[in-house]
Amino acid sequence: MMIIIAEFFVVILKVLWAFVTAGAKWVVRPKEKSVAGQVCVITGAGSGLGRLFAKEFARRRAILVLWDINSQSNEETAEMVRQIYHELDAPVTKDGPVGGVEEVPPFQPQVYTYVCDVGKRESVYSTAEKVRREVGEVDILINNAGVVSGHHLLECPDELIERTMVVNCHAHFWTTKAFLPKMLELNHGHIVTVASSLGLFSTAGVEDYCASKFGAIGFHESLSHELKASEKDGINMTLVCPYLVDTGMFKGCRIRKEIEPFLPPLKPEFCVKQAMRAILTDQPMICTPRIVYMVNFMKSILPFEAIVCMYRFLGADKCMYPFLAQRKEAMNNNEAKNGI
Amino acid sequence: MIFLVDLLLMLIDLTCSILTAIVQTFLRPRLKCIDGELCLITGAGGALGRLFALEFAKEGAHLVLWDCNSAANEQTAKLARELGVQVHTYTVDLSQRHSIYDTADRVRTEVGEVSILVNNAGVVAGRRLLDCPDELLERTLLVNCHALFWMTKAFLPQMKSKNHGHIVTVASALGLFSTACVEDYCASKFGAVGFHESLTHELQAEDLDGIKTTLVCPYIVDTGMFAGCEIRKELRSVIPPLEPLYTVQQSMKAILAEQQMVCIPRLMYIPFLARALLPWDANVATYRFMGGDKCMLPFIKNTEQKTSNGHIKTA
Repeated sequence: MMIIIAEFFVVILKVLWAFVTAGAKWVVRPKEKSVAGQVCVITGAGSGLGRLFAKEFARRRAILVLWDINSQSNEETAEMVRQIYHELDAPVTKDGPVGGVEEVPPFQPQVYTYVCDVGKRESVYSTAEKVRREVGEVDILINNAGVVSGHHLLECPDELIERTMVVNCHAHFWTTKAFLPKMLELNHGHIVTVASSLGLFSTAGVEDYCASKFGAIGFHESLSHELKASEKDGINMTLVCPYLVDTGMFKGCRIRKEIEPFLPPLKPEFCVKQAMRAILTDQPMICTPRIVYMVNFMKSILPFEAIVCMYRFLGADKCMYPFLAQRKEAMNNNEAKNGI
Repeated sequence: MIFLVDLLLMLIDLTCSILTAIVQTFLRPRLKCIDGELCLITGAGGALGRLFALEFAKEGAHLVLWDCNSAANEQTAKLARELGVQVHTYTVDLSQRHSIYDTADRVRTEVGEVSILVNNAGVVAGRRLLDCPDELLERTLLVNCHALFWMTKAFLPQMKSKNHGHIVTVASALGLFSTACVEDYCASKFGAVGFHESLTHELQAEDLDGIKTTLVCPYIVDTGMFAGCEIRKELRSVIPPLEPLYTVQQSMKAILAEQQMVCIPRLMYIPFLARALLPWDANVATYRFMGGDKCMLPFIKNTEQKTSNGHIKTA
């Protein structure tokens, strides 16, 4: 009986300490870890956030393994990465190691590209096998690939709903099964789940996206708990939950016009820089912008009716409708390709 | 300025809904009458599904029972018919989209329009992620999450045309917060919650106030589904696995009071809030203290033993 009371006090202290350290990290930026020479797999690297992640990791001299379903855009990303590697190495090879301060190993990082449909289990496993053979063991896994159907539920072809679920949620199971065993063996690795604020709270018109992003978060958190419980402290996990990012994926999504200047769609570069900071400091979760934390908390504590009237005021309840209307028009004009 | 007026109205609305919610926690809510309505329950052959069927039958609703196990389903039907309502049974595989659509068509032709939909069926793989056959992982996601899409697409259109209906999603507390070793279940239940909430927002946005939704999030229910799951022994008597009948009765109260969401027991709101409020490390510390981090390990060992003894077939 006494033991449990004592443990209870220890837990209270740990909770308070966690707040203190979290707060401190806002003020004093912790040192970012080096990922030079580490193998980093990024899914959905052909566009949007995936491309920017690739460039950021390239700047930090990681070996990049880019996966995308679209080989052309994947190759374009690879070209940008090679450009960055080239720029990084130029000063070093001309004058020799700069000041002898950098601990970068003297090697040439490389970028590898693979065409992979992460929605298909077999594709993930066979590509993972190729990566192991041709590149080596993976240290960092960025589950970034994401799609949205862009249709109201009752008008949405079933294949598009399924596609959203398998790419945004199921894929994380397969990539984790492919790469986690080796990470566990070496007790070293980092798994990043790029979810969305629409995985913490939802809105009308994007049932498939919300279900899949909530699911990705459920998977991520359960796995994080498992790794913590197994005391494999060399493996880190980071959950990235950005608000709407201006990549074109949700083009047309609009909240109330008076509020828009205060909460505009995020610049992709800003979003990725914040995410990189979290990843490289082993932060378990990052919401961008910080107001998302507050929205998430309020959504958990307030009654649903209260949330609905706030949504209505903010224009958040129908914010996706212009996006869906645009998609519908584009489809009618045969401009949009299904499922991409 | 219109904006300021809107802001004021919103704040008034907000305060009213918070106060109403607080008051309703203490008052006994008015329960609606569902006599004569047609209620479809998935997983009706299982423990919770059977109890739901009987409770809805007691309220006078006619039943359409779906399950993949026809013997168990028929047993539920027999018990429900004794309460004097009409019952139709169908054998359905919720992991197959076409099975859902075909059976929904049959229900429309043979029985009528469903006005209450109880998405209750649920499965869990019961294996650690890296030991789990992919088919089992997929099955959990298909039955617990994907099926909700197909059920809604099958039955919502008629509800919309009459602006009358009720969709109940039986998720889980493990759809609001997670624990170790049940990645498939957590992913699928989180997904169910995300789907349900987004759908509810859409119904609100389209002013379909005749269509209600209720999200049911029970803690571990003593149906055998998670047999072996155990938190810290000192707390086991404080937070025991729920009695199935209690779970269903609390859910019925929420459904008939047209409540948006119910956590059973109310204590479950605490970890749900903690997940949104506390930093990750703080959550881990509280889990360790509660024994929540390793609570599923005995359940998984149980399942592994049953599989190797041939009691459970894999996929």
